[in-house]
Amino acid sequence: MNYILHIETSTKVCSVALSSNGEYVGVKESNEDAYSHGENLTEFISDILNEAQLTLNDLSAISVVSGPGSYTGLRIGVSTAKGLCYALGIPLIAVDALYSLAQIAQNKYPGYNLCPVIDARRMEVFNAIYAPSLKILKEISADVIDENSYQDFEPFIYFGDGAKKLEDIWQGRSCEIDTTIHASAKGQIPAATLKFNNKEFEDVAYFEPFYLKDFFTPQKA
Amino acid sequence: MRQKDIIILGIESSCDDTSAAVLKNSTILSNLIARQEIHELYGGVVPELASRAHQQNIIPVVDAALKKAGVTKDEIDAIAFTKGPGLMGSLVVGTSFAKAFSMAMNIPLLEVNHMMGHVLAHFIDDEGKDKPTFPFLCLTVSGGHTQIVLVEDHLSMKVIGTTIDDAAGEAFDKAAKMLGFPYPGGPLIDKFAKEGDPTKFTFAKPNIQGLDFSFSGLKTSILYFLQKETKLNSDFIEENKADLCASIQASVVDILLKKITKAAKEHNIHQIAIAGGVSANSGLRNALQEAGKKYQWNVFIPKFEYCTDNAAMIAITGKFLFEKGIFGNQKSAAASRLPINEWAIKK
Repeated sequence: MNYILHIETSTKVCSVALSSNGEYVGVKESNEDAYSHGENLTEFISDILNEAQLTLNDLSAISVVSGPGSYTGLRIGVSTAKGLCYALGIPLIAVDALYSLAQIAQNKYPGYNLCPVIDARRMEVFNAIYAPSLKILKEISADVIDENSYQDFEPFIYFGDGAKKLEDIWQGRSCEIDTTIHASAKGQIPAATLKFNNKEFEDVAYFEPFYLKDFFTPQKA
Repeated sequence: MRQKDIIILGIESSCDDTSAAVLKNSTILSNLIARQEIHELYGGVVPELASRAHQQNIIPVVDAALKKAGVTKDEIDAIAFTKGPGLMGSLVVGTSFAKAFSMAMNIPLLEVNHMMGHVLAHFIDDEGKDKPTFPFLCLTVSGGHTQIVLVEDHLSMKVIGTTIDDAAGEAFDKAAKMLGFPYPGGPLIDKFAKEGDPTKFTFAKPNIQGLDFSFSGLKTSILYFLQKETKLNSDFIEENKADLCASIQASVVDILLKKITKAAKEHNIHQIAIAGGVSANSGLRNALQEAGKKYQWNVFIPKFEYCTDNAAMIAITGKFLFEKGIFGNQKSAAASRLPINEWAIKK
């Protein structure tokens, strides 16, 4: 059995899932108004393993959401995943936050283009657009949204914690909001399993979250 | 019967240095610090960049510290980390790593208050050096803090004086900036001060009641003085660099010494220690030694490597928590503000 632990902390949802040879075993998550990853993440990991009557030593790998998303959330998720991988001597796998979100929506909306949006403050979102097969149609980027954004990809379903603020300005377009789909570590299972089988692992020591936005660095005069 | 050795891994990530240390009983086996030079480009610590760098440094530093100590992961009895105070984005990296490591290795987690760590650095074994006995006073001075701490026991401390505005290290860095030095300029002031006359220039002195400090008036006084003089002579700073540094340093040291002397008198304590990054300042070290002779204090000055932020001090504090059985748990979270007496989760 290859058990993989999946960690999702890119939004306010703190979510941990467990899979076995690509099959879903369980999930433990909370969706609170405030960030609670610092307090909850490792407790959720203990809980989900206890429920499955497993220990950390039974894990073959850890997958973590790489971003984009909340910097603090990503920091906690990645530092925790690194600490576990380093201590246990197991590989680290990274999964895109937007791909993971699209994966969750895929079952509910077969045949539709999928537009996951993660909040990046004001009218900005992190976004990518996927075909029904989850083939990428528009690469991941941070975009300031207006009434006509992503028109070329209609009709599509949009969802994620950045969706709500687009609802008003996107009214009357052939795209539909789903406010019930939220980030979950479950969404990582297929991609993480594929990467595990292909041995596509990250460097545990030097892996960094995918911040998407570079930090401006002045040059030395 | 000989007691089993206790090996503690310490992690510090409260500001811009990522550090890991391995402690065996009270002896440091390794104490490594990854400094982040990127902040020099900005003239100060940029929290977002500090956090990103911690993420890159944490495992390499821990791994190197274990190798240097000749200790394997399995030999570690407990892991101590800085819970706060400090920059949130920086603290969460060390905190999350330490919690995960503790869970995976099934070893106790020790939550350390960074300011307590500075004080307890005095209890690291150092050949030929005495350790303070209780009670003693510790003047903790750094870029972020200026405190007089009454230390009654390893884990029983009270802040009896603190700055009402800037920290002493901040005063040094800001003055250095006015003189045109690159960040961090505090150590450069110390360097040039050695060649200068500390009595050449005088600046405004604060008049604050009790044991509290203020450095903002001094800062303004230096600024106005430099503005006035450079208007008359644009080369004023260059021509008087050493004397300016010596005079600024003397002013800061004088403010610090006055209050620690007052505290020693009021509490009738003759054991005086200094800690924190500014305790590496030679002007402060010398002035304290002289005051010690004058007032018959026992003066305790830490080794240079234990003055600035380091994980050795976190590990030694962890040892005292470990001995008392005061363990953190997986609910532990980083805290950007953390009073010195709240060193453990309220049970």
